[in-house]
Amino acid sequence: MARMKFYCDAERCIECNACVTACKNVNNVPWGVNRRRVVTINDGEQGERSLSVACMHCSDAPCAAVCPVDCFYTTGDGIVLHDKDICIGCGYCFYACPFGAPQFPAEAAFSTRGKMDKCTFCAGGPEDDHSPAEYSKYGSNRIADGKLPLCAEMCSTKALLAGDADVVSDIYRKRVINRGASAFDWGVNFNKQKLQG
Amino acid sequence: MRIHTLLFVVCLLASVFQVQAANPQSAPPPPPNSLFTSNPGAELWREVRQREGDIRGTTQMKSTDAGVLINTSGQKWREYRMQNLIPKAAVAILVILGIIALFRVIRGKIPMSGGRSGIKILRFTTNQRVAHWTTAILFVILGLTGLTLLLGRNFLIPVFGAEGFSYLATGAKFLHDYLGPLFALSLTWLFVLFVHGNMPKPSIDLKWLMSGGGMFGKHAHAQCYNAGEKFWFWLATLGGLVVVISGLVLDFPIFGQTRATMEFYHLVHSIAAVVLILVSFGHIYMGTAALEGTFEVMQTGYCDANWARDHHDLWYEKVKDSAGAEPRQAGIQPGMAQRESTDST
Amino acid sequence: MMNKLTKTSCTVAAPVARQACRSVPDAISRRTFLRNSSLMAGGAALASTLTPTMMKRADAAMSEGGGKITEVKTICTHCAVGCGVLAEVQNGVWTGQEPAFDHPINKGAHCAKGASIREHGHGERRLKYPTKLVDGKWKKISWDEAINEIGDKLLEIRQKSGPDSVFWLGSAKHSNEQAYLFRKFAAMWGTNNVDHQARICHSTTVAGVANTWGYGAMTNSMNDIHQSRSMLLIGSNPAEAHPIALQHIFKAKEENNAPLIVIDPRYTRTASHADHYLKIRPGTDVPIIWGMMWHIFENGWEDKLFIRQRVYGMDEVMKEVKNWNPAEVERVTGVPEDQVYAATKAMADNRPGTFVWCMGGTQHTIGNNNTRAYCAFQLALGNMGVSGGGANIFRGHDNVQGATDLGVLANTLPGYYGLSAGSWKHWSRVWDLDYEWVKGQFDGGSYEQKGGKDVHVMNTSGIPVSRWIDGVLEDPANIAQKDNFKAVLFWGHAPNSQTRGVEQKKALEELEMVVVIDPYPTVTAVMSDRKNGTYLLPAATQMETYGSVTASNRSFQWRSKVIEPLFESLPDHTIMYKLANKLGLADQMFKNIQVNGDEPLVEDVLREINRGMWTIGYTGQSPERLKKHQENWGTFNYDTLKAEGGPADGDYYGLPWPSWGTPEMNHPGTPILYDTSKSVADGGLTFRARFGVERDGTSLLAEGSYGRGSEIKDGYPEFSADVLKKLGWWDDLTDDEKKAADGKNWKTDLSGGIQRVAIKHGCSPFGNAKARAIVWTFPDPVPIHREPLYTSRRDLVEKYPTYDDRKSFWRLPTRYKSIQDVDHTKNYPIIMTSGRLVEYEGGGDETRSNAWLAELQQDMFVEIHPRDANNAGIKDGEDVWVESPENAKIKVKAMVTRRVGAGVAFMPFHFGGHFQGKDLRSKYPEGADPYILGEAANTAFTYGYDSVTQMQESKCSLCRITKA
Repeated sequence: MARMKFYCDAERCIECNACVTACKNVNNVPWGVNRRRVVTINDGEQGERSLSVACMHCSDAPCAAVCPVDCFYTTGDGIVLHDKDICIGCGYCFYACPFGAPQFPAEAAFSTRGKMDKCTFCAGGPEDDHSPAEYSKYGSNRIADGKLPLCAEMCSTKALLAGDADVVSDIYRKRVINRGASAFDWGVNFNKQKLQG
Repeated sequence: MRIHTLLFVVCLLASVFQVQAANPQSAPPPPPNSLFTSNPGAELWREVRQREGDIRGTTQMKSTDAGVLINTSGQKWREYRMQNLIPKAAVAILVILGIIALFRVIRGKIPMSGGRSGIKILRFTTNQRVAHWTTAILFVILGLTGLTLLLGRNFLIPVFGAEGFSYLATGAKFLHDYLGPLFALSLTWLFVLFVHGNMPKPSIDLKWLMSGGGMFGKHAHAQCYNAGEKFWFWLATLGGLVVVISGLVLDFPIFGQTRATMEFYHLVHSIAAVVLILVSFGHIYMGTAALEGTFEVMQTGYCDANWARDHHDLWYEKVKDSAGAEPRQAGIQPGMAQRESTDST
Repeated sequence: MMNKLTKTSCTVAAPVARQACRSVPDAISRRTFLRNSSLMAGGAALASTLTPTMMKRADAAMSEGGGKITEVKTICTHCAVGCGVLAEVQNGVWTGQEPAFDHPINKGAHCAKGASIREHGHGERRLKYPTKLVDGKWKKISWDEAINEIGDKLLEIRQKSGPDSVFWLGSAKHSNEQAYLFRKFAAMWGTNNVDHQARICHSTTVAGVANTWGYGAMTNSMNDIHQSRSMLLIGSNPAEAHPIALQHIFKAKEENNAPLIVIDPRYTRTASHADHYLKIRPGTDVPIIWGMMWHIFENGWEDKLFIRQRVYGMDEVMKEVKNWNPAEVERVTGVPEDQVYAATKAMADNRPGTFVWCMGGTQHTIGNNNTRAYCAFQLALGNMGVSGGGANIFRGHDNVQGATDLGVLANTLPGYYGLSAGSWKHWSRVWDLDYEWVKGQFDGGSYEQKGGKDVHVMNTSGIPVSRWIDGVLEDPANIAQKDNFKAVLFWGHAPNSQTRGVEQKKALEELEMVVVIDPYPTVTAVMSDRKNGTYLLPAATQMETYGSVTASNRSFQWRSKVIEPLFESLPDHTIMYKLANKLGLADQMFKNIQVNGDEPLVEDVLREINRGMWTIGYTGQSPERLKKHQENWGTFNYDTLKAEGGPADGDYYGLPWPSWGTPEMNHPGTPILYDTSKSVADGGLTFRARFGVERDGTSLLAEGSYGRGSEIKDGYPEFSADVLKKLGWWDDLTDDEKKAADGKNWKTDLSGGIQRVAIKHGCSPFGNAKARAIVWTFPDPVPIHREPLYTSRRDLVEKYPTYDDRKSFWRLPTRYKSIQDVDHTKNYPIIMTSGRLVEYEGGGDETRSNAWLAELQQDMFVEIHPRDANNAGIKDGEDVWVESPENAKIKVKAMVTRRVGAGVAFMPFHFGGHFQGKDLRSKYPEGADPYILGEAANTAFTYGYDSVTQMQESKCSLCRITKA
């Protein structure tokens, strides 16, 4: 079976935030919960690069490992999902996740967070495919229709790729070759130090 | 200029080929029953983790830590909790319970010397008793709920099933999070009421400790509280303080605590709590089933004079007159410092 | 194969402050379900006061998953890239949005705004019903009441002060048909006081570029950038303003190794992907471009053949360029020689190269100089008229290109015909109206002279949007019309995109009537202290109606209606009909346009456009051809935009204008302007012969250059009946065509025969001329540098002064020197500039009302360099006052960043709803306030207008930033 992965090409990401709003759009994600976000390092300076980050659907998911109620499961496609009905909102998955994927609708006293919400790779959740319960809890199930996550499908520069890891790797490899070939063009100014005024 | 470009080209080619050659050993082991595929993102994220300088950037999201690109402390925390804390806590609990059981088997219930005298001496005020029981009950609930969250996945899901355990865990979290701050108050109250008698007096306490507290052999002198109790008092206070403070940090994540902060305090809280729980097993055993005449003291506030003479002789000397106590059953002289063996035969 | 746990119910065990999980009861409309489960919470006033009875939505049962899904194709309404949008509609409710993978321009991709446009189907922070301000409170009224009251007041004003006292402010967000009707409306009313956002966006582009080579539009396309070998962007930040353009730019960068050069005062997100980044001082576009040209001429890199054949006046430019040696360039712009040289060489070595510019270059007092300098650059390198080259001007709003073309401008009629009597006569014929009647609608007076003769107000440019406040506040004796403005209709235009906010507030308060016709209240509704005489009419968004829209690359795109108008909103053309009817103009305005109920038939309007806009070839794009293109998006080639097979075989996507002749002629459109490698019939073109045949002994016509298949193998003037007769081609016309064409030219022949025959012989109907690098009718024939009015470089003012003050320019006194003469640098030491954010668009009320977007930009801010921040004791995130020399101040958050250079501060202009520190949220009609409010940058921006078009100077002014 295919193993589903995301990849964000930092050479293409321009922080247009289409991935963020596309996710909000298709999964009806409320204000304050950000399944996907774009992080920019070296903002405003040379070497500035942006990356779109959400759940990376890890093969050895730390969130699943630490959950006290074991509410996570991995589908045959390698998509890491969880059951909101079992979740107790303790926040451990958020501590463990390297990418900060778990989100909580509340942040209140007495450790009240509500049910954890995160990127589902647009694969819904444990409820029946396309049921109202699935939609209201987890958002759309595009995988069940043979579609891919909307964030990647709507990325303005095709920086964010999602799909079978092999295919994604292939696409990225081709890009790297293209970019590497730029080095052979002597006419281009690579004197990085003098790029900025 | 040309050399720099050439070097750059070489490096770029090297990195291109490096990317092309996926390194199987660096990828996490694939789960069974799936085709082995490399994670295209693994290389990118590995580079991010190994970046010199910030792995923290800017983002339009306003939540805490949203600007952090990758959280490296999480994996360390996960490993420690799953591979160290949980197994060791489980083992330690079993071991301590085992030791106590063994002790029970070997020593049985320890009676008062000379049996009951019938004379009652006031040992704990009502205030003290209420404080103690409040704290104790809270402690037990917090301990059990805490252990449910720590160990429940491994030991209770097989018993209750996923759904059932979720209800249990939800209840456990609810109780734990709301009662925790109450415990803070209760513990403070307890501290205030019991601190006076629990100040260490090395000349007496050390001797008591050296003689094993009377567990094996003769009793040593003891004040209102013996060294063992003083030890428990201070452990509960200081350990409790640690648990309370770390608990409050965890219970009120509304001050912008980062994940690293929460992870740190979580470990501090868990370790301190487990230590307290382990020692509390001893305290509870000692205070309930271990000795004749002990439990009723915290239950009623009054202790039997012989019990007092056995375990807290110096205190008994001070208060016996106030209790209007008569000399007791034969064999016991007032003022006797030495104790015979408390073996009831 | 999903490993799922089955659930029987949804439990919410833990108490939650916001949303956790909920289950959906049966038989609830998807819309109310969506309303409950999305939005709300956070930042601003929450619960809408909307009751279900106010929504004109059919309740749909949600039980088995919603009903049949209809896919509707439309085009995003946020910017001029023109991304395809696939809307999924169930039972009249917009429930889903899929990527339009086969759309040739965006291939399914979007930016944050396009990816969230489904919100227009359920968003509630908008105008819901006609509203009137009564003693400071908003009161709901009916459409009839509104139209009657507004109409009566307009007629009263007309009676007392004349038709020129009403300002018709139209919109770049109107569809082509709506824009055309709007311009026609103003003409029927009898005034040239009609304008729209293009004035403050690319007016200097249109003027500068059209006066260089004939048309003022983007010459190639974003897709054509795939063929570019180098790319230069100046004053353009597509990462924020045109993200999909970067899809195409990156393709060239990666596959063609095309170097990307970015020239910008800020190190933008676009610059971070550049191979060359030149940081210029704001307002020094001409020096940097001339500085690059200096290297071109110095090294002989110019395309001499191209210049000889197709360019006039380059030697004059060369003379001026000689002044811009590297030392002077560095002194004025701040960019050192090696960077300028490297960037120039990159363009020269890698041709064809494309040249992109946006507001950074246009919004200056010398904007028309800037745009002409950019053109000269491309002409010098021979990058015009070739695939991969061109002047790729990225337009702003979704239909600013269309609205510009359709003449929603104070200085022309649809199709850039101008305001001469001949132009009016042409349009009167198209409108099937008596020219004298049309003329009679105007004020009979004359307030200007041209060549010593009185000029009728019908033939003089009206007051543009950038100056409307002076139309109110200026002494009427100084205005070249009868009286001040008494009423302004803000028809799809926000006020906070124009400068001088403090004066604007005053102007709003002086008007007798203010009407806002918009889906959203806009800042107009709240920024003034008006208590009465203000009307807010809810217009439907473009998602709630249909029609055509023109993208930046001149392609037409057909929009289908996604949903019915929400609440009580109406499409703009319906509102126009109602108002025209009230004013007694409906019969004339809709003479040949079918009206169903109150809604004019959109297709009929387009057909009328097709009948009249010969100048720019808006004639071939019939509704049928455009709908065919919409249905066959996927058949158009991604690189060339040409349909390969399929029902539209041979057409270029959207029939980019000019699509010559009648629709029957089936012209495929012109994807690349001025491309002589193709015949005109196949989309090729020459430079337009617009400026005469000869000047100072030199021919202005092309020499030795002509289009493929041209029977005239040299330059030639524009075609007219006489020219055809001279060439012996007159008899190629049919009898009907001859009747219509006799005595006419290619612009006024309503049969299209002249165009058809010219093209038949391989010729461009508008002639074959040289582009001219000097515009002898402009204040600066050769583009030169002039310091901004508010400049930080007093040492350069003597050498590069601004213009003299003018007594009457676009009917108003316009100041230049009297402002620049004052030295403000001591008190206002920081250069102030403005620009865009990707999450918002324009005045911002629309996008700030979309929770998905608003969450991403919650605070208005000013970017300030660490050096300036340290000097002022300001820390990142603190509130600061930004004050301008015109006594305006705004309170915003400081963002300390190195993106701007020391001495430069940047603000986004999309915020509104705060005014000089005061929060105006309570002044919005209930439930219509956007989630996020903030200070408008333009409250602080200052006086300064382009010397040809009255474009505002919002890219360089001065300010002082202090801790609040």
